Amino acid sequence: MKPSAFHYEKPSSLDGLLDVMGKHGEAARILAGGQSLVPMMNFRLATPEVLIDINGLSELDYIRQDGDSLSIGALTRHNVIYDSPLVAELSPLMAEAYKHVAHTTIRNRGTIGGNLSHADPSSELPAVCICLEGHMILRSKQGTREVPAGEFFLGALETAIQPGEFLAEIKIPVRKPGVGSAFEEVSPRRGDFATTAVAATLQIDGGICQTARIAHAAVADRPARIESAEAVLEGSALDKARINQAAEIAASETEPSLINYHGDADYKRDLLRALTKRALQRASENSVN
Amino acid sequence: MAKDTSFLEKSRQVEPPREAYKWIGKDMKRVEDPRLLAGKGIYLDDVQLPKMAHAAVLRSPHAHARILSVDTSKAKNLPGVILVMTGAEAAEVTGPTASFASPPCPQYCLAVERVRHVGEAVAAVVAQSRYLAEDAIDLIEVEYEELPVVVDPLEAIKSTGDAVLHPERGDSNVAIERTLRFGPVDEDFANADQVIERKLRWPRVGAVPLETCGAVASYDEGTGKFTIHANTSMYNYVGWLIAVSLNVPSHRVNIIPTLAGGSFGSKLFLHKVPTLAATLARASGRPVKFLEDRLDNLMNCDNHASDRVYNAKLAIKDGMMTGISFHVVDDYGAYLQFGYGTHGNALSQASGPYKLSSLEMNLVAVFTNKCQQGAYRGFGSEVMNFLVERLADAAIEELGDDPLEFRRRNFIKPEEFPYRIPTGNLYDSGDYPKVLDEAAELLDYPGWRKKQEAARKEGRYIGIGVATCQERSVFSATEFWFLNPDEAQGFTLTSSPEGVSVKIDPTGKAMVTLHAPFWGNSPETMATQILAEHLTMDPADIGISYSDTDSGLNGTGPGGSRYTVMIAGALTGAAGKIREKLLTVGGHMLEASVEDLELADGRVSVKGAPEHGKTIAEVALHAHYFRLSMPDDPLLTSGIDATHVYDHPLTTLPNGDRTDLGVFYPIMGHMCHMPVIEVDIETGKIEFLDYVAVHDCGTMVNPMTLKGHIRGGTASGIGTAMYEHFYYDEQGQLLNASFADYLIPTLHELPVDLRTGHVETLSPFTEFGIKGGGEGGRMGAPPALAAAVEDALRPFGVKIDELPLSPRRLRSLIRAAASSKV
Ligand SMILES: Cc1cc2nc3c(=O)[nH]c(=O)nc-3n(C[C@H](O)[C@H](O)[C@H](O)COP(=O)(O)OP(=O)(O)OC[C@H]3O[C@@H](n4cnc5c(N)ncnc54)[C@H](O)[C@@H]3O)c2cc1C
Repeated sequence: MKPSAFHYEKPSSLDGLLDVMGKHGEAARILAGGQSLVPMMNFRLATPEVLIDINGLSELDYIRQDGDSLSIGALTRHNVIYDSPLVAELSPLMAEAYKHVAHTTIRNRGTIGGNLSHADPSSELPAVCICLEGHMILRSKQGTREVPAGEFFLGALETAIQPGEFLAEIKIPVRKPGVGSAFEEVSPRRGDFATTAVAATLQIDGGICQTARIAHAAVADRPARIESAEAVLEGSALDKARINQAAEIAASETEPSLINYHGDADYKRDLLRALTKRALQRASENSVN
Repeated sequence: MAKDTSFLEKSRQVEPPREAYKWIGKDMKRVEDPRLLAGKGIYLDDVQLPKMAHAAVLRSPHAHARILSVDTSKAKNLPGVILVMTGAEAAEVTGPTASFASPPCPQYCLAVERVRHVGEAVAAVVAQSRYLAEDAIDLIEVEYEELPVVVDPLEAIKSTGDAVLHPERGDSNVAIERTLRFGPVDEDFANADQVIERKLRWPRVGAVPLETCGAVASYDEGTGKFTIHANTSMYNYVGWLIAVSLNVPSHRVNIIPTLAGGSFGSKLFLHKVPTLAATLARASGRPVKFLEDRLDNLMNCDNHASDRVYNAKLAIKDGMMTGISFHVVDDYGAYLQFGYGTHGNALSQASGPYKLSSLEMNLVAVFTNKCQQGAYRGFGSEVMNFLVERLADAAIEELGDDPLEFRRRNFIKPEEFPYRIPTGNLYDSGDYPKVLDEAAELLDYPGWRKKQEAARKEGRYIGIGVATCQERSVFSATEFWFLNPDEAQGFTLTSSPEGVSVKIDPTGKAMVTLHAPFWGNSPETMATQILAEHLTMDPADIGISYSDTDSGLNGTGPGGSRYTVMIAGALTGAAGKIREKLLTVGGHMLEASVEDLELADGRVSVKGAPEHGKTIAEVALHAHYFRLSMPDDPLLTSGIDATHVYDHPLTTLPNGDRTDLGVFYPIMGHMCHMPVIEVDIETGKIEFLDYVAVHDCGTMVNPMTLKGHIRGGTASGIGTAMYEHFYYDEQGQLLNASFADYLIPTLHELPVDLRTGHVETLSPFTEFGIKGGGEGGRMGAPPALAAAVEDALRPFGVKIDELPLSPRRLRSLIRAAASSKV
């Protein structure tokens, strides 16, 4: 379990990063926290010829509010986000999801940008970004573009990042007043990737659900919204029966395709039902009507 | 069978249990800890030799295939590569690796002609670094011809032709089929009021220690001698078998043990790795380090344990268990490491703590295309515990009985020991009702039953498990051969000895040499406390080291919960000789006769006049330097030293037709586990609400380290019951060959406070009455958890017949139960 040989570059500025990326092209891989890439290299599932270490680029390490958005630099460590009062206030769903992400030692190194670029279908954060309708800011020599989270994840370990591009920032809409949210997950052990997870936000006005967002993780090759379940909630009074109906729809209308030893399709359906119900219940409880 | 006191007369106990101790029974901090906790312990990977090179191994991607050709030319040309060796090349110089199977089932450190499981070693590279060695591995080209793959043990029974793994043993994958009957089986089943039947499935799990197996080997061309550093055990018992594999006389191999970063059985007799490293060292002319990586270890080590399918029956008469009859198919994987020892072992406590009159076992051991089995904490007896307790629970359910009352009624009574069970093994001592009562009280069993009832009304599913299990300790070696086929009649009586060397230096400090390795247990602490007790010394004045094979006495090492009992035996013998010498020399110094002297508080002094005496240091100085100032006596030599080899305390031969297996595992520990869990019926997840484990290991040498064993063992048992499983798919691919998917429970998955208790019933056969406790909780947790989950899900009528209790499995059981109710 040793990686094959590679060259190592460590740019000291964003321009420098774009230069070395341009120089090495597809032979290069970015090294952020290394918590996914290094194991893959040790298993020789990834054999990059060049590693471009971005850990010197402190300009990618920040959390700030930009108007209606919470902006997080790609190199921000998991634990910094997890512990951030600003994130807890502006995006309680993300803060809650982080309870399920890996272990302290891994969160000390792993970065949000590395996590989202890696696009593991069982990861929590892609589902959070989709549920919250966040955006990914990608940069290249050609400039900057913004990709909606819903269009960013293309498959297992596949994203919309093009050669020559890197993920610079994650933009999450700040929670609107009164919006309730919840993140529910079952994983084999604490800190493991999800067997199934469900993220939900609810905006409720006068007992009527105005907006519902539900996203799953670890069910298919990428996280996705469960729009049919959202649809039965929006415009309706949120009672137990309605929540159960949405949960039932989430279970019956989602086709689990990410099947492994820990979860077959039947079990993942069970989890979609249970976790959607719980997430919606809690989100409705903690929304301020 | 029944009470049998005839053995008491044969007891070789020299040191009866005492009323009070100075050091035994105290929570002394481990003497191993300072260096281990400071990161200063020397493990295999810390061994560095001049000019040492590094090896890596190419592993088979196929579960079953012929090796048609191996092209190593590209690998050999890679700069930094010193040697590339194929299985065929290795077989020219090194024979099959050690195995205890009969008839033999040849296995090589690198596969020859055929691979029989995914991960089997096919070729090896020696290079300047492990990195380069792995680069070269990627350049080796192997042409395989795939053969039919056998994964399901029940299918394996039917295999013929190309699907047979070892054609030289016959056209079948059945390694052995044997039926053994003990006592009036037919009568018990004919007379039964009820016959309870269960089909059970025990999953393939493994020991998976943190540190993998490794060896650093060098070969001295001048002397023709190998030196092998390895994290193995049993090197002073059967280490010479490695020399046999290497085709050299045994005095041309010296095995030096390193600290082992855990074993739990899997390093019992590590031989493939040292044999490979030595083979590569001889061929490359360089010292070679080979340390398995996690993939090597999970796919190919001696990790995997019992993998059994049971069909079992229990006869009940008047509410009493009378007979157990079971058919078991055990999937041994591709090779047979320790013969059928894991079934021999299980027969030592096959009736559990209960009074049965008959037992029947029909064993079918099969070969499949999986990693071979090794040893793991319990060595097959933990599975027997699961079987017996599942049957008991099934009977309780069927009779509408109470889990505590039923057990109490069926227990062997305290006054009935020593007690012979139908298989012939003897249980030396025990007080099972007391252990049960203590556990029930510690848990507040009635209180939890009330809470359970209240919770059920709220739609919560709490379950309480009860398991009362045996922990046989101190194996004799007969279990390894008495199940061999009839044509191999076996041996005369075998032993599994343990030696120790003790010397007192001129300043009065004691140096103890152990002849078995450090395995993650506490051999130094045990030896220190026991010797301090014997010689009335300060433990700080005792030092411990480990012998190699050049200097080693007999040492079977840890395994089968034997080490503390056995080292206590060895130390008792050695300390007796040391005491005698101290008194003799002291007598000359004090001009007193030996009969008038005693050794107390670190001094040799005149009985009744303690001021008239000499310290151990004073006596030692005299013994070392002033021998000639004492009267001439051929037995009085300079210095103070002693060695002692202690043999198994009590063992007898099995009979010819194996209707009586003899006494082979008589030092019988016992335990009661009571977990309280809650099942989330929507997700299938299990949460611990409480956990109590009460153990009886006879005299406790160190309650603190014993508690660690119980807790650690229970953690492994929880792993087996709820998380772990080596899962092979239909192609024989091991789908969870990494710690991302092979789930070892972490602290978060364990009970927050695993509460322990102890009962001490003392062995009449061992020194100080000590019994073993090393395998601890793993022997009791799986049946206790199965019972707890079944109890929680009683409203669904769910039966727990298979482990692990993964949330996926629980949900599928609940789903099936719910849909069958509709
Ligand atoms: C034991 C363990 C448990 C874990 N459990 C979880 C879990 O429960 N949930 C979870 O979500 N994750 C889990 N992880 C993964 C962890 O979150 C990783 O930190 C994360 O997936 C990758 O982040 P990283 O910064 O380490 O990225 P790296 O490993 O450095 O990189 C990952 C990939 O992203 C690319 N990359 C990195 N940064 C950029 C960028 N800015 N632009 C473009 N490409 C980039 C790299 O080239 C590489 O392909 C676990 C990891 C381990 C080892």
